[in-house]
Amino acid sequence: MAKKARKAAAQGTNGSAKKAAALTARDKKTLKDLIGLADRIVDDAQKKRDPYIDIPTRALSNVRYNKTRRRIEMGSNKNRRQLFNLSQAKSYMQTVLVASGCKQLIEQGKTTSIRGLYYLLKHTIEGTREETFDDQAECDPVIEDVEVGLNSLREELHVYASNRGNLVGPLTLVDSGDEIDCSRMGSAGYSIPSIVEQDVIEFKKCTAKFILHVEKDTVWRRFSEDKFWQKHNCILTHGGGQPPRGVRRMLNRLHNELKLPIYCLLDNDPWGYYIYSVIKQGSINLAYESERMAIPDAKFLGLRSRDYERCGLSPSVKINLNEQDIKRAKQIASYPWFEHKKAWQKEIEQMLSNGFKLEVESLISKDISYVTETYTPARLADGEWLD
Amino acid sequence: MAKRPSKNGQAAELDDELLEKDEAAASAGQNGDAPRRKRRATAHSMAASQRDISVSEFFAKNRHLLGFDNPRKALLTTIKEAVDNSLDACEEAGILPEIWVHIEQTGTNRYKVGVQDNGPGILKKQIPLIFGKLLYGSKFHRLRMSRGQQGIGISAAGMYGVLTTGKPVKIISKVSRRKPAHYYEIKIDTKKNLPEILNGGGDGVDIPPGEAGSKYIQKHGIEWIELDHGTRVTIELDGRFHRGRGSVDDYLEQTAIANPHVTLHYLDPESGTGQGEERVYERSTTRLPREPKEIKPHPYGIELGMLVTMLQDAKAMTLSQFLTSSFSRVSPSVASRICETAGLSTRANTTKIGRNEADKLFQAIMQTKIGAPATDCISPIGEELLLKGLHHVVPGEFYIASTRPPAVYRGNPFLIEVALAYGGMSSANRVPLDVLGELLAESDARTLRQFLSSTFYGLGSEAADKIIKEAGIGPRTSPGKLKPAEIARLHEAMRSVNLEAGQTMNVLRYANRVPLQFQHGACAITQMVMQTNWRSYGLTQSRGQLPTGPVTIMVHVASVWVPFTSESKEAIASYPEIQKELRLALQSVGRKLGMYLRRRLKVKQEGERRNIFLRYLGEVAGAVSEINRADRKKLYDQLLLVAKRKTASADLKLDERGKVVDEEPTDFGDNVLIVEQKSDFGIRNSEAKNGQKGS
Repeated sequence: MAKKARKAAAQGTNGSAKKAAALTARDKKTLKDLIGLADRIVDDAQKKRDPYIDIPTRALSNVRYNKTRRRIEMGSNKNRRQLFNLSQAKSYMQTVLVASGCKQLIEQGKTTSIRGLYYLLKHTIEGTREETFDDQAECDPVIEDVEVGLNSLREELHVYASNRGNLVGPLTLVDSGDEIDCSRMGSAGYSIPSIVEQDVIEFKKCTAKFILHVEKDTVWRRFSEDKFWQKHNCILTHGGGQPPRGVRRMLNRLHNELKLPIYCLLDNDPWGYYIYSVIKQGSINLAYESERMAIPDAKFLGLRSRDYERCGLSPSVKINLNEQDIKRAKQIASYPWFEHKKAWQKEIEQMLSNGFKLEVESLISKDISYVTETYTPARLADGEWLD
Repeated sequence: MAKRPSKNGQAAELDDELLEKDEAAASAGQNGDAPRRKRRATAHSMAASQRDISVSEFFAKNRHLLGFDNPRKALLTTIKEAVDNSLDACEEAGILPEIWVHIEQTGTNRYKVGVQDNGPGILKKQIPLIFGKLLYGSKFHRLRMSRGQQGIGISAAGMYGVLTTGKPVKIISKVSRRKPAHYYEIKIDTKKNLPEILNGGGDGVDIPPGEAGSKYIQKHGIEWIELDHGTRVTIELDGRFHRGRGSVDDYLEQTAIANPHVTLHYLDPESGTGQGEERVYERSTTRLPREPKEIKPHPYGIELGMLVTMLQDAKAMTLSQFLTSSFSRVSPSVASRICETAGLSTRANTTKIGRNEADKLFQAIMQTKIGAPATDCISPIGEELLLKGLHHVVPGEFYIASTRPPAVYRGNPFLIEVALAYGGMSSANRVPLDVLGELLAESDARTLRQFLSSTFYGLGSEAADKIIKEAGIGPRTSPGKLKPAEIARLHEAMRSVNLEAGQTMNVLRYANRVPLQFQHGACAITQMVMQTNWRSYGLTQSRGQLPTGPVTIMVHVASVWVPFTSESKEAIASYPEIQKELRLALQSVGRKLGMYLRRRLKVKQEGERRNIFLRYLGEVAGAVSEINRADRKKLYDQLLLVAKRKTASADLKLDERGKVVDEEPTDFGDNVLIVEQKSDFGIRNSEAKNGQKGS
């Protein structure tokens, strides 16, 4: 039993009979960090200084592309968040609130979703009509701030995101003690949890040869119903658009621990490119987690800009690029991890000269199972993908 | 001197030649295209109908030029002319003016207006001419600041009265205690522009003092307040009485602002029916304005034709004598310089100056540097009295006044004064419920929205919409058809809605202390106020519009000859010199207002800043103590200390009541008045007084 926890229980000033749970070593470290944060504030107040919290900047300006490791890494820039600064006062208060919420969760040995934490901390500020958080969108980035600020992971703060993303394939795993055969999960497949670390999920048995990651549920269902994973002996995943951390971590573990290559089938638009980019070298926002998330060997299988002609698609599936798309595409093309890849530059250029984008679903216009029976097998057989 | 064409049409030789040429050209044209047609009228037949037009006939037809274009304005103009004359007379005689204005309704759209003053009175033989002849007066020919200028006003009002009601103008005047008052009933003969005296066999009547006199007066349907000297004029006319913008009430209130030495008694039509009571605007100073001196014209203001006429009128004298005696600011040395430039001898006799010489002389005058005219012909209200007057009538929290040094346009000295009041509630916030009911009943506005924006100053349509919405009444409701409950709701809404945002600046225009109430768009004052960039002084303003905010600005143009755009004296013409002075005056008050608003904003912002910090301190302290079990209270107090240090400037200027304490009184310079805002504090104060009375 940790000394701190005992002390806390003994003091019990909050009056609630909260039961202190057994703390793991990781919990102890996180608690220590949280208390350190609070102690600094007390210290500053005593010395009549402006209290502040330094939070690493989560922006493109503060990420670096590590060429040897082939992933995005976070720089050392920090944003100072001050209590006595008009524009930061509220977010400062929110940051401290989130820290205290996480501390409660850890002490009680419980976890909650980010939405749950939002409700836990949401209340009216005393003497005003202002809420601590107006909506969840205001709370989520603050949780990320605390993660980065304390250099700890979301699960270490006992917070998880809601599940998004499914998996099907010849894989058996143990999830919180339950053995699950992912090939026998019915039509909806196995729902990938937010936290997939080793203490939660353990891989038991896997016969798959590769992983096919698709963008969204519709396409995933097509593949799943057509039993593509059986025919090709693979694991089939989707992340509901931009894959959440659970999905990315899962892919990362499958790739690294089971040595499975990963192929992505995404839309032919800037958004699809960026999803691939995030899977491959990590996201700008969560650059500090790239190490656990990025899969530098992931391949981009489709859709390609040339597929409209190659597959003879009907003109009605074209979606015109809007101004924002064009801007975004140019931005992506200039990312350092795309900048020097000729194939990618050509790909993006072609999309821009096409003037339209294509969704994976557009292949369905050829034939319902065109994507599973013709398109994907052909690409895999030809070994034609972008890296 | 060359022969000039006389008025009767006896053309000079030169002109004959011209005529012949014209005719030749015309006939050539006619021969060219069409057969000669028979003339409709010959020169002889036309000459038979050509005749003189009398001024009074002209103005009877063109009464809109004098401000009698509609019944509403007619009533106001009548009162205005009478009051202006009274004030001029009193000030000229050095008497502290006291004026009685009495309006009585005598029929639908028919009112009897009586205006009395305590002035010097008018000599018996002058009365008919002053009140019964257009363009008769003492003020036209002299250069001196006065309210009246042309000698049209009051006689035109009388003429209008006679035209619309057939009732004569009734005048009582008393010049001293020892002499009896004269009573005249006068009609103006519009054909001849001459007065026609109706009573006493064309000679007027002397009213005996005492009982008999007052009985006589009562019998003739006029009132006379017993005074040692003074004049009362009573005119019955077709008119409309209304309240709000451009009303008699407004005119008198604004007159009181610009004339703090005047006491005004005002009985409106309702007072006769026992509903209202006499309103009195007490004077706030007993000091009469400095008597303006009469001056000679300044050479720069003269035109060639005028110079020629003056030379002709002058008795035989040397040129030097002529220049020094007929113009101001021309000393013998200036005169000799002018003559030198013109190439004329200073000793030249004025009778020998021909057209060419006059032209040369005129050019020389314009080229010679001559000092600005003396400015003692203008009597400004003065910054102190401006502040007093404005504060007396317009509620606010910040007052500033500025009087510019005199300047000259076209040789006429003039002077600009500006006073500004900021803050305070708008009239719409202050109106009592019963008055609102009256206003609604009287209004001829078709919709409630129109009523609100036309009745209250500075209330834009935006604010009107807000009020109507708040009251929950249909915006197209007719103001006369509101139920008492609805009126109560409207009143409540008018009090509660914050009007500051949509309120536009209230511009009060004055010319020689007379408020101008119409044609504000055409007036140089309004135009300059709009052109001034008030945004840099902390007000909001759309381009080319009046700024918004709780601001009242008063602009006074004083001059020996105010350049009005028409005889009805409603708008001031835009001379570049006047525009420049207006701009400078507006900017000088604007700068002070900006300083005040910035300081106010800073204190407010600092206060807000602290509020924001304070709001979150409790949360932060709570969360921190949750994490590390620190003492919440102690942490909170420590953070509070830091917060106070960070927002120290909010502290500096707030005393224990949270009121702004002026620590830098020298900041604004002179002629600034800052009034503590009346909050509920004022009510508490009055309650306390009541309590004392009770005990």
